[in-house]
Amino acid sequence: MDKLYSLSATSMKELLDKKEVSSVEITKSVIERIEKTDKDINAYISYNFENAVKQAQEVDEKRAKGETVGALAGIPVAVKDNICVKNLKATCASKMLENFVAPYNATVTEKLYANDAIIIGKTTMDEFAMGSSGENSALAIAKNPWNTQRVPGGSSSGSAATVAASQVPFALGSDTGGSIRQPSAFTGIVGLKPTYGAVSRYGLVAFASSLDQIGPMARTVDDTAMLFSAICGRDAKDATSKNYTFEGYTDSVKGMRIGVPKEYYGEGVSAVVKEKVYTAIETLKAQGAEIINISLPSTEYALSAYYIIACAEASSNLGRYDGVKYGYSGNRTAGLNEMYESTRSEGFGDEVKRRIMLGTYVLSSGYYDAYYKRAKMLQQNIVKEYNEAFKLCDVILTPTSPITAFNFGEKTDNQVEMYAADICTVTVNIAGLPGINVPCGFDSNNLPIGFQIIGKKFRESDILTVAKCYEKTVGGFAVKEF
Amino acid sequence: MEINIKHIAKLAKLSIPEDKLAKFETEMQDMIKMVENLPEIPTGGAVIDENDTMELREDVVVPSSPRDEMIMNAPQTAAGCILIPKVVE
Repeated sequence: MDKLYSLSATSMKELLDKKEVSSVEITKSVIERIEKTDKDINAYISYNFENAVKQAQEVDEKRAKGETVGALAGIPVAVKDNICVKNLKATCASKMLENFVAPYNATVTEKLYANDAIIIGKTTMDEFAMGSSGENSALAIAKNPWNTQRVPGGSSSGSAATVAASQVPFALGSDTGGSIRQPSAFTGIVGLKPTYGAVSRYGLVAFASSLDQIGPMARTVDDTAMLFSAICGRDAKDATSKNYTFEGYTDSVKGMRIGVPKEYYGEGVSAVVKEKVYTAIETLKAQGAEIINISLPSTEYALSAYYIIACAEASSNLGRYDGVKYGYSGNRTAGLNEMYESTRSEGFGDEVKRRIMLGTYVLSSGYYDAYYKRAKMLQQNIVKEYNEAFKLCDVILTPTSPITAFNFGEKTDNQVEMYAADICTVTVNIAGLPGINVPCGFDSNNLPIGFQIIGKKFRESDILTVAKCYEKTVGGFAVKEF
Repeated sequence: MEINIKHIAKLAKLSIPEDKLAKFETEMQDMIKMVENLPEIPTGGAVIDENDTMELREDVVVPSSPRDEMIMNAPQTAAGCILIPKVVE
């Protein structure tokens, strides 16, 4: 048998159900693996090992007694550090929340517990989920398991790195403009950004509330779907969540119409990424999919619309960090305003400050119509274009990232270049659609490449079907020996 | 493009140290230049999608979180209350 930590969640479940292994054995194997490799990967901000073993013992006892257990019973999972797990820190990788201990569980956390999953630790990220490389973390900078000189992508950098390094079978991330899909592409794993409203955001630290979604990241499509089906559905605590039953998926694309939008294969996309994504399209065509050329003309404005809307919402959401109720508190001796300013100036990192200021600027008097309102109008155009496109096809296939993982420090001095890394992923959030990254090969430096499948609202079934068909046809995805 | 970085920072309740002002100003100019790439579209309509309504929960009484848990992360508390610096003379 392979080492327990390296198994997929699906294989772990099989062995657990057959009582061939215990959850304690799996959990201890995962802990040992993390202890051995995390000095090189740096995927975590905090570990939850003691509780994890205790929880595993409880699940094992439940099984031994013949009690009903949940769908994720005894399987370890990692959680991004902007998702609340009661009594554990939720730092958002920020000095501002370095000592913040969550006083309650996020709804997804409740669902993990209800399904008897084992929470192994909290993964690092770009501060407040603002970044595309993981480098904006104030607490731990994760590395790409395929080449530790390279970034793992962001903002769910730790969740991507821990899954790619086979420390855990799957993890939760969050995605506001590509933060699940882009790091999944950079680290060669599967990452699903669900439809807006498919998963409750209650207990997710807000960045841009109209765009944020929590989603699963894993090394296989089955594991991704397993975690997704455990966390999705209506939650009274999130008024934007919807009643939703995940219908499952198949492994056949026969007769499925796959749209290929020309705007996503332009100059900014590297030649090798294009080549591998085109090859993937051919693979799916050979499996019986119909390939249809489509156009999404507003794509060229997508980054503008995204950064305006996301930063506007962030500037409002992050107003709560005032040094009063929780988190870092600055100079408390000179007066209230001085406390606010010193708290925020000392607690936030530079990228967070830049985005708060951009958001403040686009919402400020005299600029609102020129920026925010135009961006919101453009959002409606983008939605309309997707609706039109989905009359011609069932899913849309694009590259996930225009480039492969870059070196640490390569883009830190050029924000606009860093933002361009999100070009293929942001419209999916703007339109509230589901999107998934699927690994499809490597560049000449042996760095992973991925394609993205975009589906209609609440049609996670469709995009998982395409992903599963591709995975099966190519014989599974490469896993980095680490 | 002219950006009054000090003014924006003040609105955002941030203070930017003098030696970093120039850097932040350049970066903000680059970012604004990027987001200015927007088409001329009419801005007369509503900014929210009226067809995408939120579903409210029933208005029923449920237990709320205990006070001590809610204030356990506050920087300064006394007698179950959160303290702030004095605001009146």
